Formats: sequence, C-alpha cells, structure tokens
Amino acid sequence: MLTANLARSRTTDETITPLFIDPADERYRETARELIQLFEDHLDEPKGELEDAIDELTVADTDYKIVQGLAKLLKDECKFEVVASVDPREIRRRLFEKANERYPIVRQPTLGEDTQKLEVYSAIADELGISLEDCYRGMYADLEDNKRLVRIGTRTADRYERTGDASPSTTNLTGSSAEEYEHTDLTVDWLLTRYNLALAQAVLYDATEMRIRVWDHFGTVFSYVKLFGLMHRIYPIDADGDRVSSTDQATGYEAVLDGPASLFSKSQKYGIRMANFLPALPLCDRWEMTAEILVDETTNETRQFALDQSEGLDSHYSDGKRFDSDVERTLAQKWERANTDWELVREDDVFDLGAEVMIPDFAIEHPDGRRAILEIVGFWTPEYLESKLEKIRQVEAENFVLAVSERLECASEDFGSVADRVLWFKTGIHVYDMVEMADQYATGHAPANTDQ
Amino acid sequence: MRIEFDDGTLLLRDASDDTPYAEWDDRVDEYRAQAYRYRPLLEWAGVWADKNEQSTLQDGFDHALEDAARAYPALDLTPALHIEPRDYQQAALDAWTNHNRRGSVVLPTGSGKTFLGLQAIADAGVGALVVTPTIDLMNQWHATLTNAFGDQLPEPIGVLGGGSHDVTAITVTTYDSAYRYVNEYGDQFGLLVVDEEHHLPPPTYRQIPEMTIAPYRLGLTATYERPDGKHELLEDLLGPVVYREHVDDLAGEYLSEYETIHMSVDLTADERETYDEEYKLYRDYVDSHDFDLWKERGYQEFLKRTSYDPQGRRALIAKQRAERLARTATKKLDTLDNLIKRHHDDRAIIFTANNDFAYEISQEFIVPCITHQTKTDERTEILERFRTGEYSMLATSQVLDEGIDVPAANVGIILSGSASKRQYAQRLGRILRPTDDRQPARLYEIITEDTMETYVSQRRREGVNA
Repeated sequence: MLTANLARSRTTDETITPLFIDPADERYRETARELIQLFEDHLDEPKGELEDAIDELTVADTDYKIVQGLAKLLKDECKFEVVASVDPREIRRRLFEKANERYPIVRQPTLGEDTQKLEVYSAIADELGISLEDCYRGMYADLEDNKRLVRIGTRTADRYERTGDASPSTTNLTGSSAEEYEHTDLTVDWLLTRYNLALAQAVLYDATEMRIRVWDHFGTVFSYVKLFGLMHRIYPIDADGDRVSSTDQATGYEAVLDGPASLFSKSQKYGIRMANFLPALPLCDRWEMTAEILVDETTNETRQFALDQSEGLDSHYSDGKRFDSDVERTLAQKWERANTDWELVREDDVFDLGAEVMIPDFAIEHPDGRRAILEIVGFWTPEYLESKLEKIRQVEAENFVLAVSERLECASEDFGSVADRVLWFKTGIHVYDMVEMADQYATGHAPANTDQ
Repeated sequence: MRIEFDDGTLLLRDASDDTPYAEWDDRVDEYRAQAYRYRPLLEWAGVWADKNEQSTLQDGFDHALEDAARAYPALDLTPALHIEPRDYQQAALDAWTNHNRRGSVVLPTGSGKTFLGLQAIADAGVGALVVTPTIDLMNQWHATLTNAFGDQLPEPIGVLGGGSHDVTAITVTTYDSAYRYVNEYGDQFGLLVVDEEHHLPPPTYRQIPEMTIAPYRLGLTATYERPDGKHELLEDLLGPVVYREHVDDLAGEYLSEYETIHMSVDLTADERETYDEEYKLYRDYVDSHDFDLWKERGYQEFLKRTSYDPQGRRALIAKQRAERLARTATKKLDTLDNLIKRHHDDRAIIFTANNDFAYEISQEFIVPCITHQTKTDERTEILERFRTGEYSMLATSQVLDEGIDVPAANVGIILSGSASKRQYAQRLGRILRPTDDRQPARLYEIITEDTMETYVSQRRREGVNA
C-alpha cells in the first residue's frame, strides 16, 4: 500500500478522485521497467544501496511521487532480512563489554596498554565461533539500510532458497497472510495496474463510510468485509440498484460499511480497513462503490469518492475456493446432467444476521419465477456445525430448505423452525429429491391458473 | 447485562433501556457505549470497586452487571528511584488520588512530570499505558519506567511504536501508535497517562481516551489552554484540572559547570584538493543563480531547482560531498583518538549529528551508539549500563535531554560544528557534571578548519541569525 505522503488525488467542491495513470502510457511503462530492473539488480544487496539507487532515479524524473509510489509497491513484494550468523545485538553487547575492559581502543597506540580494535573483534569472533568479517559486518547488520534484499515477488536470491519454506509474510497493516493474495511475477503491467488500485486505496485512508453495490461473488465480498473488521447494513437491490423488499426479488445487494464507533460520530478510524477491503470489489464482474472522505478534520468537511468496474481496476486478492465440499461439487455436476426445469444457482442470497452474514450455498430457481434457497449441511466438526446451526436458526425465510448428512450427530430439533424442510442424505444428494423439495417449498410467482 | 470490550467500544448485552451512555446499534441489535464510559457504567450499576474501597453492593440492586470487559491486571509496585518527591509533586499526587484518580496536572517544563507519572502508576496499582507525542519522549519514559519498575515486573516495559510492538502490563507508546491500535488494546490498561495532553483534543487523537476503558486517567502538560478552546474536551475525557503549579513557584535554572574547548583540524592534502573542487562547483552555481541560502525559502528554491536542472543536481551533490569531507575528516578521527586516550578513565559522550558517522565511530572505537534507529529497549539498556559504569563511553546522534533517564558524563565531544548544531552543544553541556573538585567537566568541539564548518561557526559567534 502507499503511504499517505505518496497519495495523489484531485479534490473539487464535491468530489475527490485519484489521479490514475494510463498503464499504456510509454513514459510510465519505461519507469516501471527501469524500477523492476533496479530491484532485480539489487537482489542480495543491502537495502540502503537500493534506496539510494531509487532516489537517483527519482531526481532525474519529475514525477517524484509516482516513482516513489511504484517503488513502494515493489518493496511491498520484497523481503528484506537481517543477514548475520549471530544476532547483531549479541555481537554488539559482547563487543562493548570486552572493549570496556580494554579501553582505550585507539588507532595509533602509543602506550603499552592501548588496544587496537582488531584485538577486540578477533576475541569476540573467536568467542562466538564466527569469522572476523562476519563479526565486523554482523555488528550492525540489523540497521534498516544494512538488511539484504532476499526475495522479490516469487524470486528468491539463491542462497536463501529453502525448500518448503512456507513462512507466511504478514503485513501489519492488513493483517492478511500470503494466502489472501498470490505473489506474482513482477511485470510492468502488474505494477502499473496495482499502482492505480493503490491510489484508490490511499484516498480511502480518510474514509468515514463506504457504500457498495454488488451483483455477484457475494460469498467472496462478504467474507472480506468480515476479515477486515467492517460492520455492515445490507439491503437487497434489483438490477438497477434500487432497493427491493426481500432477498427473493434481489439480483444484488447494497451494503453500508463502517465500524463500531461510527455509531457515535464520524470517524476515519476505519479508513484503513476500507482501504484493505477495496481490492475485494474488482473480483466481482459488476460492482459500485461510494465513500465519504474526510478532507478537513476541524470542520468535518467531506467529499464523495465514487468508483466502479468501468475503471478497469484489477484485484490481487484470491477469490476463494469454488466449492466448499465434494458434496456440493457433485450435486452441481449431477444437476447439469439432470432433466429438470429447475436451475441450481450458486450463492445467490445474502441474509443479514447482524454481526454476521449468511450466504446459503445455492438457490433453486424455476423459469416461472419460483425460488427455494438451499443450504447443505455436510459432515462437519461439532464446533463448525454449532456456529452454522446458530445462523440457520436465525434465517427467516419460508423457502429455505436444508440437505443434511445423516452421518452428523444432530436431530431435527436442532434446526428449529426449519425442521420439516430438511432432506436427509446418506452419501450423496439426489437431484430429484431436491427438485421435489423445491416444488413443495418454493415461493414467488406460480403459473397463473385461470380456471381456478 | 453483560459488558464486553468490542473493537474500541463497549457492547452492552441485554441492557435495559434506561442504561446511560448507551446507543442502540441496529447492526447487531444491542446497545453500545463508548469505551471510556466503563467506569461510569459500573458506578451506575453499583459494582465499581475502587482499590481502596470495598465494592458497594446496594440492597436489591436493580442493575445486575457482568463485567467481561476488564482485561487489565492489578499490580503491586514501589518506585525504585531513590529520589524524594518535592513538595509540589506530592501535593499534585494527593490532589489526583483525592479526585478519584481522574484528572489533569499542569506543571511547568522541567519540573518532573515524569516522576509524578511514576508515582501515579505505583499508586493506581493496575496495568498502565503511557502516551507521548514523540518517539524521543517515548524513549525517555521507557528508560525511566524500566529504572523504576523493571525488577518488579515479570515482563519488560512494553513499547508500541518506533518499530516496536511489544505490549505488556506497563507500556509506552506514541499518539500515532495509540490512535492506530487503541481499538485492540483499549481493555488491557487500568490507567491511562497522557503526556503533553494539550495535543489530545483533535478528532483523531481524541479517540485514544474514548476507546480505552481505563477507569484511572492522568493528563500531564505545561500548557493546558489551547487557542481554539478545545481543551474543554479534556475534562470529559481525562477529568478536570486537579492541580496547577506556576513557574514562579519553582527553583531557578540549573547552572551547569563545564569548560568549552574548541579544536580545529585541517583536511589532508588530498581531502583539501577534493573539498575545494566540490565546494567551488557548489558556490559557483549558487552565486550565479542568486539564492539567499541563509534564508529558509532561499534554500528551498535551491532544492527545487535541483529536481529539474541537471547542473543544480550536480551542485547539490557537490555540496553534500564537501560536507561529508569536512565532517568525517581523517584528522578529526585522529583528534578523537587522542581525546579518548586522554579521557579513557572518564565518562564520555561523543556526539555527531550525522547517523552514519555515529555508526562509523561506534565500529572504529567499539563504543555503544544510540541513534533514532536504536530500538527503545536497547537504548534503555545502553543508558542503564552507562549509568552503572559498565559502559564508560557512548556515541550518539541524538540529543540526550536532561532528564532522569540520562546519566551524567564529565566529558562531551562534539564532532560537527554546523550552525543548527550549536543548540546541541548547549543541551549536551547541560548533562555534564564534574566527577571531582579538581577537574571541571569538559565539552570539546572539533571542527574542520577552512571549510563550511568554520565559516558557519564564525557566523554563529558573530551573532548572525541563521
């Protein structure tokens, strides 16, 4: 992510917009190319030297913020490490202790007791079982400038290659681990599109509230909302973005996102969380976002920041696994081959349960407008089952049906009011059993029966 | 009802509608309150137990309350500093404890606010968070707290900020780090100490006291009133002013006794040649463009030019190279060498404003070194060892302010003489004390002859404002 001083945006009376760059612009492509090359040239070199080289590049280029911004994003993909055979602090401590016994340490000894630094370094090197050079270099190997660039993106400097080294790199800011996004090979395209996303994120640091509208990938979007500690109010919407009265009539969802203390006053405290969340949106095919940005703390003045999929932003977050289980995958496959008018749709409904959100696995839809909602309760751990059941019990929808594995240790009573809408299955779910359930409990438009 | 700490606020489960300070949160269908209402809520429910009182259970109390929010420990501490509190410090502490340990104390700079803070922490007997405006101040508090309580706690004094993230029972932090993390740690401290509290009112920092549950709060400052009047918020967030001490009431300035010795060295022949070349290049450029470099704006203009004028850039590099030569002149190190020989039995602090040079000296003469990059706990350790005499010398690129965390030295050596560093000399001088009656404390200033350093030093002495 960009630091606040590298943000670039334009503010008008009403709006605030990031100053996006055109990834096809040859000027920026050249700069990106140069920077990437610079980083690759400095693999296994001290960080200070890389920083100096970047500064040199910056002075020659008038777009200081852009160059430094791109460099920052590259640094985020890198790993800098203290390279020393012994903990530098330990080396220092011993050196100073030994030196104190033997002062004065001088360059030109004049008296018999005058010690030369070589003696002290050698003594400690011997004590620690390292070479003299390691002792001297290791002494301040933990200074920021002395750390070494050991990995860029997916490339690791040869001597640090460790097989099976799956050390998760967590960033303090996002708290997200390597699983959330893939380390990519660093290319010019990647860097420039990533930069635009980062510019948008930087505007959000001062956001007090965010509203989003999404029409697909609900599971993914709401799991990221939760991951980044945002609270939500959800409203079902139609294809035009207008609110409708129930999830059955919805094609999408609008969510207002903020944080716990937003209840008491407008606060930018959660801006960082919203910035972290933003990259989840481009995972959707269609999405919209507006955020309220605080531009003056003393007067509480705000501006609107709006964004949608037409901006062409790309996400570097992973969009999660396709299916939660074999049962689901198998059902979907069987359904394809089955002969029925009913259609199986993936994760199409969102139920707002307050602190959490419930997104049932499937919806079963008929061309005549009828719908049922299906959640599959497979063979889970007791804890996971308990938390799922709690959610299920809170869902108030007459067309909500369940398919439950007989191998589970639970009975009809556990499902509360949904109890009679449960289909028990042994190994797999039969499509026609499901169709029967849907027929029985679906709500919505039924074919008009004129001779009734 | 049950109160829980939730991300910087209090979630009030099953609260009744008459619960004070509560707002209905339709996102979760429960009442929610700001974290700093923790103690008022417990008092309202009749279950607040101050450490010196028994919990007052009211007969048939109407508001049963389960406290699931508190996560701070009780501590049993005695400050290990062998200093007697001065009268006004004791009076300030008494005023604070008499006011339920919630309030602000206004004391002039240099009157030992830190010491008062220690007393308060020991008195409150709970986990404490100390919030300060800068990393320097944070470091000072860390050293002092370690000195006072280090041995009595199972873990070291915590540091949150300046590259460290170690939260323990007693932790020091900066305003920025506190603002960033308060929603996570706001339940872990029973006492909130806010140093320089006049910085607290802005909407961002205000959230620090808002999002902590700490029932005990102490604000410290020398200047309480703000021109924008926002200091009034402090009363709600920390408590009212409970004690004020005026400047006149305190003893006069401390006079330091040391003698200054100016030493100048020459560049070697090679250094002189390169220096003159680079310096001429720089001066030619400046003169031909008519910048008034002694004025801030003139210098800014010069820097701006360097970003688009290749010759300007070269001039900047020339200036930097010349400065570097003057600063790290070989003969300076030789002089330092001699001084070290002469004073190896003394307690010496070597000061240079340049970080890189400080590390060079550290490696060359094997002396401990403190810069702004030194982690707080290591800095405290070095100062501690300097105090006990385990280390008799140290190098630093930071000004070590007079305070109870900085031990006295009797020899100071300053290795650069540019204009802005003159004030460093004065401040370094303040911590020098003679070790015996015969020898005064000494402050050496070493500059390189016939370079920018001399010129600048001369201008200073002539009284020209830079």
